[in-house]
Amino acid sequence: MTDQPHLDEEALAELQDVMEDEFEVLIHTFVADARTRIDTLRKALRNSDSDYLTRTAHSFKGSCINMGAPCLGELCSEVERKGKSGDLTAVASLIERIESEFIEVARRLEHFLTL
Amino acid sequence: MPIETHRTDDGETLVIRVEGRFDFSTHQAFRDAYEQTDGPVTRYVVDLSDTTYLDSSALGMLLLLRDHAGGDSARISIENCNSDVRRILSISNFEQLFSIG
Amino acid sequence: MSVASSLSRTLNSCSASVDGSGLRILVAEDNEPDRMILRSLLQKLGHRVFEASNGAEAVARFNSVNPDIVLLDAMMPALDGIEAARQIKALAGERLVPLIFLTALSDPEELARCLEAGGDDFLVKPFNRVILEAKLNALDRMRLLHQALSEQVDQMRHQNEQMLAEQKTARRVFDNVAHAGCLSAPNIRYHASPMSVFNGDVLFAAIRPGGGSLIFLGDFTGHGLPAAIGAMPVAEIFYGMVGQGFGAADILREINRKLRRILPVGMFCCGAMIETDSRQGLVRAWNGGLPDAWLLRTTGERVAIPSRNLPLGVRDPERFTTPMVVFQTTPGDHVLLMTDGFSETPNRHGQLLGESGVREILAGLDSPAGAFDALMTRIREFTGQPEAADDLTLCSLEIPDMEQPRAPVCKVPDSGPAGPADWQCVYEIRERTLAQFNPLPLLLHICMEVPGLRSRSGEVYTLLSELYNNALEHGVLALSSDWKSSPRGFALYYQERQRRLSDTNGHFIRFSLSHESRSSGGRLRIVCEDSGAGFDFTDHSDRVSKRRSGLGSYYAGRGLELLRHMATHFHVHGRGNHVEIVYDWELPEDRSDD
Repeated sequence: MTDQPHLDEEALAELQDVMEDEFEVLIHTFVADARTRIDTLRKALRNSDSDYLTRTAHSFKGSCINMGAPCLGELCSEVERKGKSGDLTAVASLIERIESEFIEVARRLEHFLTL
Repeated sequence: MPIETHRTDDGETLVIRVEGRFDFSTHQAFRDAYEQTDGPVTRYVVDLSDTTYLDSSALGMLLLLRDHAGGDSARISIENCNSDVRRILSISNFEQLFSIG
Repeated sequence: MSVASSLSRTLNSCSASVDGSGLRILVAEDNEPDRMILRSLLQKLGHRVFEASNGAEAVARFNSVNPDIVLLDAMMPALDGIEAARQIKALAGERLVPLIFLTALSDPEELARCLEAGGDDFLVKPFNRVILEAKLNALDRMRLLHQALSEQVDQMRHQNEQMLAEQKTARRVFDNVAHAGCLSAPNIRYHASPMSVFNGDVLFAAIRPGGGSLIFLGDFTGHGLPAAIGAMPVAEIFYGMVGQGFGAADILREINRKLRRILPVGMFCCGAMIETDSRQGLVRAWNGGLPDAWLLRTTGERVAIPSRNLPLGVRDPERFTTPMVVFQTTPGDHVLLMTDGFSETPNRHGQLLGESGVREILAGLDSPAGAFDALMTRIREFTGQPEAADDLTLCSLEIPDMEQPRAPVCKVPDSGPAGPADWQCVYEIRERTLAQFNPLPLLLHICMEVPGLRSRSGEVYTLLSELYNNALEHGVLALSSDWKSSPRGFALYYQERQRRLSDTNGHFIRFSLSHESRSSGGRLRIVCEDSGAGFDFTDHSDRVSKRRSGLGSYYAGRGLELLRHMATHFHVHGRGNHVEIVYDWELPEDRSDD
């Protein structure tokens, strides 16, 4: 659906420059945060709480953008749009795709840390 | 300069202006003004617009001018007098001798 | 310091604070990784970071953190970013605390809502260090500017209040002086500007001791305190002299003299004076610099009284004249005086009513009595504001019936001492002083202390001067006026005069001056004695009377003519070196009823 890269390595490098010693902490914080977000998305969907769903997706999207994970961010954006419109039909599959995309991003982030 | 002279455009009238007090200290300059002219003068105008005061010696000087200008046939007008000056001239009946304006 | 210099100081220090000491920045962002990134970015830029993880927390911490700038995520749980922004702006009150919204996308609707809530700028994710720094700089500069301006405004407001208070006080004093006298008389109507503003207009009115009234309208150049300062001495002169029975011409002369002396060059007073003489049914008018005054007759005729003189305070006293224009009047006629505020107050479109506008109004009157109201109504209509009449003065005087009882005694301001009326002095100069010092200005000054003599300074000076010259030239220097019978002689006379002045040893000239007041004026007595051998006055006067018979060539004797003519009495004592003159003067007649 999207042809965005999984990880924007340039952006990440800049982030590393800014965060310096805290870069690793940031990565781990993001990863932990992401996991929580995905769980929240699922919960919101189960409760058909489109408002909560929208806000969570929006927030998650934000950090994806900052972290340089454009594809993930785009997927969150989709969920956000759906949530706003109130149409939750396709959301479940979107969340699955977010899950798999996230796994890929997390793997690449870990790899980046070793560089 | 207490005395200033000039001729009118037609060259025939000599205008003598007296500035400030017209008293005995002015007499030489006043006399020079009308004695040392180049060319004839048919009329004289004594312009007192800036004259603040006139005393009896000035009256004498005016008479001298009149004499110089031909006495009875002289044509002299005294102009732009303030009220004090005018009064002094009129007490002395100078309008019988000069045209005062 | 000036607003400009303090603002530029602020601008110069702006960059210093952002680079140097760092700002206090409150970050409200619920997303932890994002918050971490921002914190690092901001700290790297040298700022102190305070964090809140939701809107409510941001609002709660705002007062205690007291940030310079706030960064706020637009969408947050437990108090939406937009609402948090509103509340934070409200807490900031008059202070400008710039607020930057953090947003993930540029949805125009969302951005519009952010702006409405009071957002000053946006920062789009991903956070970019350069952009963030630029925005912080710009907003901080804005903040500091706003602060400096607020301080300036406060300072100015305070100073302005002070100034207004002072002006109010000065204005009260001014009003006690400037609009006083008999303005409450039944036949006078006037409009003078209200308390809130100085405009340099004065309006005096008084009833003359012998009947009739005197009104003076003055418009000083400039505004405010400088214009008002001229009013006080003029009021003193006006009321003092009216009380003593003086008329318009004398009072104008004194006012001119005073203003000429005290006002700086370029300041003067445009004025008009109206003197009514109820017994003779006359009005005398003088207008120097004001717009046309008007005499409105009950017949419907309107006579303009234009300005034909220089304003007061311009001309030297010696050259100041007061030609009065005289009109016959009948009871019911009105005289109108106005300042140029009338023709020169603009309406909304910047147009002026103009003198033609005034004429129009007067032309449309049914009767002179309606003039005042018609003019006031028209000027308010014209400008569309009731307070338009702030900068103009209008006065209407009705010529009353003769049988009308005199107006009650008016309150006039204290006029101070009237000047010495009964006095004497002796002044003698001797020896070398005779040659070196001219006593005439001093003697004249002594005489001019008598108010009634001030309008006669020319004559008094002539008397003193002729006496002095006679005493000096014929008495002390023993010059003979025979010399002055020819032009050459005239010149020699004055040469010799100069020469003889070098030896005045043993000589003196003594003036004895005295003055006494009389029922309606005074008597000045001048005695002049000298140390000379005297000269034959009788012989002299013969010569002078000979001159009358023909237009002879005598250049001398004028002085005595003048003395005889101007003095009330002229007496020569003894050898001729003791001359006494008496000079009586009268106030203008009071015309007491028979």
